[in-house]
Amino acid sequence: AMAGGLEPHMEALRRELRASDPTVLSILLALLAVVVTFLIWRFVQGRRSSRKAVLLLGLCDAGKTLLFARLLTGKYRDTQTSITDSSAVYRASNDKSASVTLIDLPGHESLRLQFLERFKAAARAIVFVVDSVAFQREVKDVAEFLYQVLVDSTVLKNAPALLIACNKQDVTMAKSAKLIQQQLEKELNTLRVTRSAAPTSLDGSSTGAPAQLGKKGKDFDFSQLPMKVEFVECSARGSKGEEGDADFEALEKWLAKIA
Amino acid sequence: MLDFFTIFSKGGLVLWCFQGVRGPAAAATAPVNALIRSVLLQERGGNNSFTHEALTLKYKLDNQFELVFVVGFQKILTLTYVDKLIDDVHKEFRDKYRNEFQQKGALGLLNGTFDFKEDFLRLLRDAEESSRVRAPTVMKTFEQSLKSQKTVKCMIETRGEKPKEKVKNKKNKGPKKEGTEAVAAPGKASAGDKQPSAAGDKEELTKDEILQKNREEFFRRHKKAGEKSSKSPKPEAQKEKGKKPRVWDLGNSNAKVLDYSNSATNGSAEAAPPEEFDRDTALGDRNREPGRLYDLEYESDDEAEEEKVTQNPSKPSTKKGSALGGMFGMLKGLVGSKSLTREDMDPVLEKMKDHLIAKNVAAEIAVQLCESVAKKLEGKVMGTFTTVTSTVKQALQEALVQILQPQRRVDVLRDVLEARRHRRPYVVTFCGVNGVGKSTNLAKISFWLIENGFSVLIAACDTFRAGAVEQLRTHTRRLNALHPPERHGGRTMVQLYEKGYGKDAAGIAMEAISYARNQGFDVVLVDTAGRMQDNAPLMTALAKLIAVNAPDLVLFVGEALVGNEAVDQLVKFNKALADHSMAQTPRLIDGIVLTKFDTIDDKVGAAISMTYITSKPIVFVGTGQTYCDLRSLNAKAVVAALMKA
Repeated sequence: AMAGGLEPHMEALRRELRASDPTVLSILLALLAVVVTFLIWRFVQGRRSSRKAVLLLGLCDAGKTLLFARLLTGKYRDTQTSITDSSAVYRASNDKSASVTLIDLPGHESLRLQFLERFKAAARAIVFVVDSVAFQREVKDVAEFLYQVLVDSTVLKNAPALLIACNKQDVTMAKSAKLIQQQLEKELNTLRVTRSAAPTSLDGSSTGAPAQLGKKGKDFDFSQLPMKVEFVECSARGSKGEEGDADFEALEKWLAKIA
Repeated sequence: MLDFFTIFSKGGLVLWCFQGVRGPAAAATAPVNALIRSVLLQERGGNNSFTHEALTLKYKLDNQFELVFVVGFQKILTLTYVDKLIDDVHKEFRDKYRNEFQQKGALGLLNGTFDFKEDFLRLLRDAEESSRVRAPTVMKTFEQSLKSQKTVKCMIETRGEKPKEKVKNKKNKGPKKEGTEAVAAPGKASAGDKQPSAAGDKEELTKDEILQKNREEFFRRHKKAGEKSSKSPKPEAQKEKGKKPRVWDLGNSNAKVLDYSNSATNGSAEAAPPEEFDRDTALGDRNREPGRLYDLEYESDDEAEEEKVTQNPSKPSTKKGSALGGMFGMLKGLVGSKSLTREDMDPVLEKMKDHLIAKNVAAEIAVQLCESVAKKLEGKVMGTFTTVTSTVKQALQEALVQILQPQRRVDVLRDVLEARRHRRPYVVTFCGVNGVGKSTNLAKISFWLIENGFSVLIAACDTFRAGAVEQLRTHTRRLNALHPPERHGGRTMVQLYEKGYGKDAAGIAMEAISYARNQGFDVVLVDTAGRMQDNAPLMTALAKLIAVNAPDLVLFVGEALVGNEAVDQLVKFNKALADHSMAQTPRLIDGIVLTKFDTIDDKVGAAISMTYITSKPIVFVGTGQTYCDLRSLNAKAVVAALMKA
């Protein structure tokens, strides 16, 4: 019955199309062309913005800008506190055709969240650079920033691969990656409780309840996160000082894996 | 003379560095980092020089290619050529390495070698020379000076001087002095022995004559009326005439001699001498109604209105004139790359400044903020389809969010946990002016702490205001009713430590802290009396309390209704705390509690004023009078409310 009902309509439509002026037909064709172009464009856009960025995050003086310079050119450069982001295309050394965009974000407290907002949607992977020498002193600040990155809704949704690079290993007092991992887990465990208990923000309705990190009942562990987390040790300055190369094969390998 | 000169990109790469007089290579990084952190990142970029320890740093931003030029020299030197040097270096560096900068991404900066030393040294030499070379001021020749105008002879003073020249000069000076006096003065009987005689002959004067002459001059100077120009002392002539009787002014002289009245005007109706009576100057306003008392006139407003009126007609005229050209110009401005100039930004910035002030941001802070944004945007290349207004608004919004972001970690609970681990109480002190809501917000914060399982001791260090202790006692009772000891394992969550009125606040605070340590309380909240920032003895007392007790957190409580006062309050409070502290690094205000936030709709400018002045975060926001009305700051929401039209 349905097909029977449809047939006369189709017949009517065909008759209409043949009978009417070419203008109506051309209008219909134009609309169709527009729709098709639109779909193609969206498709291409989706392909292009398939998150090709690797973000370098971390506190001030962690060594992000030097790491950035070393990865791209291999040479040592003097650096100052960054005020804005720098980005460049990075090709892995074994010369696969895939390339990623390395983005170095400033670590200063007043800027870091703004820049994270800007670039988090395009992030395929995040490298969180930690100053292993000053870690003991700064553990609370490191953990707070890491917490803010991890509970961000976009980051949770996209789940980019996370690498925690324990930088400045050339200094003898540097802490090992294992120790840093343990300390961070303990600190994030505490932060989960205190952060969710903080007074709600002024515009409380929009943010809603803050996301829960990890599993509720158990102690926090990096394996509970939706993204893959790895810890590596590296040294942007390198053991031979400014003349020699940087010491970050693990980092480069990881980047090659990501790309 | 320069200590160093660095050129680095805003992304952090040092492109070129020059080490001047002395110092290791790393000596440049610390001051420059301090410059970046305190000036550029805190939006204080209006003034282009900065002092760090013994160095003065001057800087310049290139917003088109995202570069920063910094020069550092000793503070004690005052080098005049530095500004010019920076400008020259900027221009030349930019032109020389234009290719590297125009490459997309940071690869151009990374790979480029910036060998700028010779050019820089040349520019430095030019700048130094230009400041040194200045023609020495040429002394005026003798002919040009005033002294040569006078005749030489009159300047020579000798004993046997001809009185003629002196008389001549006196004649010249005399009319000047007595020009205004009525010339037609009848012969008055002066001390009659000095009778004017003809201009004396050239006779030599004896000693007595000189004495007489000097006496004459003395008398003459003290006589107001009378014409003495033609007078010349002729004592010789008089002496030869013989002794004449002295005639005293007040003595037995005739009444007639003493009658000075003008015979013509005596007894007539007009007693006043015939001077011009200007009615207008006497009465002032011609158009006044007789008998009416007028109000005070505000002249400044009239002038301002006149200025506005004169400005407005000029503006529409220019608009009409270039209407067609303006339309095309607007289109041209939308598409393509145009770099921002100061003139483009000024009207927009003025409007934004007024908008900020209307939203209750302190006036001087709004000005500084707009200056800083202007510096950051000058020379920047705008993208396609962006107007000047949108670029400036965007930059201002980013600057405001940047200011409101806390510079340090703001997590009171985490710190309390840390203090609990070390088995000592976490001490918070509340200070502020009268009536901002210290006690109310103290109660709210203690409620929040109790909800999270921490025990609180409230120290009533407001020993002045009537009812302060009772107020806190009432709060304690209520909080204990809300959270009875049964729910928390038998321990009272809130307790009040008070010693009545009139005692020393610092002493009470110290006792409260040691009591808390003994009894195992987690947090001590110290309530102080409200005090005006100008009240020196009270500020000293507060500073003493804070210096002696070394609290973990010093919170300044400020209400959101305050306008320009916020700046003054915070500056003076910080100054008092810094002055009266004995320590090397004095304890200043650590955080701000912004109260009465529910009374302002979107005039949230006080938040900006307070964080800008102190660069300390807003820890809590009070939005009402019940215990649940405690919030934390949401920077984006506040800035959105601020930028809303």
